Amino acid sequence: MPVDAELLEILACPNCKTPVKLVKNGTALKCDQCHRVYPIKDDIPVMLIDEATVEP
Amino acid sequence: MALSVPQHDPLSVAAVGNAFVDRVYAKLSPVYDLVFGAALQAGRVAAVARMNIQPGDHVLEVGVGTGINTSLYPRDCRVSAVDLSAPMLEKARERVEREGLTHVRLFEMDAAHLTFRDDSFDCVYAPYLMSVVPDPVKVAREMYRVCRPAGRLVILNHFRSPNPILSCIEQALSPFTVHVGFKADLDLPGFLEKSGLRPAGVERVNYPPIWSLVTVVKR
Repeated sequence: MPVDAELLEILACPNCKTPVKLVKNGTALKCDQCHRVYPIKDDIPVMLIDEATVEP
Repeated sequence: MALSVPQHDPLSVAAVGNAFVDRVYAKLSPVYDLVFGAALQAGRVAAVARMNIQPGDHVLEVGVGTGINTSLYPRDCRVSAVDLSAPMLEKARERVEREGLTHVRLFEMDAAHLTFRDDSFDCVYAPYLMSVVPDPVKVAREMYRVCRPAGRLVILNHFRSPNPILSCIEQALSPFTVHVGFKADLDLPGFLEKSGLRPAGVERVNYPPIWSLVTVVKR
């Protein structure tokens, strides 16, 4: 099941606690504030700072 | 070593860290349902009844593990479920797919750092989680934060016996039981006080009835 709009409304960046958005064709979530990208692996968003990459 | 993490004013004689718990549950994931499935099922069923889920409610399950609870939720609610252990989540993902539980969404997340905004859920549930995590008070505060006002927190767990002899045995066992996934001696009154939780009810569940089902209504 993809991350839908309702879930995006309550999800927050683990680092900034601010909203995240879907990127990379829905395969990752990105925080605009800290530029961290959280991967979605096998349909499971990995909302861990240690597993995130920082992308401009 | 499990006992190497210092803890102030401990709720349990055994202290663990996230990395330790992660290692234990990676090993437990293939056998968890066999070991802890049927024996603890009565408590799971009672907990879902106590959650009083209404159609359209959004439920958060913290510590979904192998997804053993996921088939107990009504189909007309939506469930977000989190766990820190990737191997346990893989089991949950297989189960959700196998049983066609399209109302359940899984996340890899630290229970002590829930990445949801305040007041997001109608009900927040922690099944057999509090004696697993390094800092149960932090987890309880996070659960409270993401629950909406007048929403419910439901905590299902084994806590230290009020009987002094049993309590001594549980404290003696706890440094060993952490190696199979849980502390045997978590102190319920201390946990509630430190978490700032005032339960609307505490019931005994399972057989023998040495597990507690704690219900809290957020103000």
